[in-house]
Amino acid sequence: MAYSDKVIDHYNNPRNVGSFKKEEEGVGTGIVGAPECGDVMKLQIKVEQDTIVDARFKTFGCGSAIASSSLATEWLKGKTVHEAGGIKNTDIVQELNLPPVKIHCSVLAEDAIKAALNDYQKKAAHESETEKTATSAGA
Amino acid sequence: MDASQTTDSPARDVHRDLPMASSMCWHCQSEVPGEYFCSRCVKVQPLSKELDYFTCLNLPRTLNLDDKALEETFYALSRTFHPDYFATKDESEQSISLGNTALLNAAYQTLKDPIRRVEYLIRLEAGSARTVQTSPPADLLNEILEIQEDIETLRSLSPEESSGQRQALHTKLRDDRGMLAERQARLEACLSEQCQRWDDLQADAGEDARIRAQKDEVLKDLRELLSHRTYIRNTVHDLAEIVG
Repeated sequence: MAYSDKVIDHYNNPRNVGSFKKEEEGVGTGIVGAPECGDVMKLQIKVEQDTIVDARFKTFGCGSAIASSSLATEWLKGKTVHEAGGIKNTDIVQELNLPPVKIHCSVLAEDAIKAALNDYQKKAAHESETEKTATSAGA
Repeated sequence: MDASQTTDSPARDVHRDLPMASSMCWHCQSEVPGEYFCSRCVKVQPLSKELDYFTCLNLPRTLNLDDKALEETFYALSRTFHPDYFATKDESEQSISLGNTALLNAAYQTLKDPIRRVEYLIRLEAGSARTVQTSPPADLLNEILEIQEDIETLRSLSPEESSGQRQALHTKLRDDRGMLAERQARLEACLSEQCQRWDDLQADAGEDARIRAQKDEVLKDLRELLSHRTYIRNTVHDLAEIVG
């Protein structure tokens, strides 16, 4: 099976590889895995005023999984949290021209985005909760 | 000549209880109740496409299989349908022999490997176990990510510099490998336990709702164990490459 040029490009020059500190404010972390092949993917977003200003990933898996997450981080940047939730695995499949046997890689990337957004929202809710408690305690 | 050749074929006495694609000969339209070869025109008949691998190799749907029986049935059936015996026959017969043989090969390759056997059983039994999304425990994924990052770091360090850091990472990854290998062994022990549980449930006559629920439970456990095993096995493999 041959990889498409776009997959090879992302594989050879992955965008946004790396990580943020999990505890950092505005950072959402998603860690997901594909039970069939054992690939593991970590995807992080950094949010400022509801907009994703930066994204990072680390993927240990096949070329398609790396390309899917690399592409995802590119797409995430500049999107609002709400818009980011609309990224579908089928968009990734189309952009990278993934063959049927590699569709699960795009699913993994979508799951990672969802997990990162979830984590961010949970953290944000928790932070505003603590803020409220702090304010009411101060009052 | 044509007929005698097929009659002499060594494996015509193999059990003939595999479901066939049709109860009528594709060639002469006469009745072929479960026969591999039409009794009138002696043409080979296609096996049913819906045949599951266990039935195909005449085995019970259990996870501890009689490896010898598996092999013997496979060889016997292969001798019946092997394309070599049909090299001089017409195209239709060649293609049926090829189709039957492909099915047999897939069945044999899948069932002789204990892990693929479990995976296949899960697919086959589908039911509620199939739709259950097995998410690996977050701590396992975190652990694996951490190990993979350490492997990456170790790879990026040049031998000349930072020998202290290299040594430390090497030692840590060696320990990680030992720990994961132990975990893999424990997991595989759990796996065979669950396989036995499945076989015990299969041995029970009949299947009421209670037994079905228990079976689904076992299938779910098997699925989860398999997925954990995949993560761990991949990482152990990567570790072995770098720390030996």
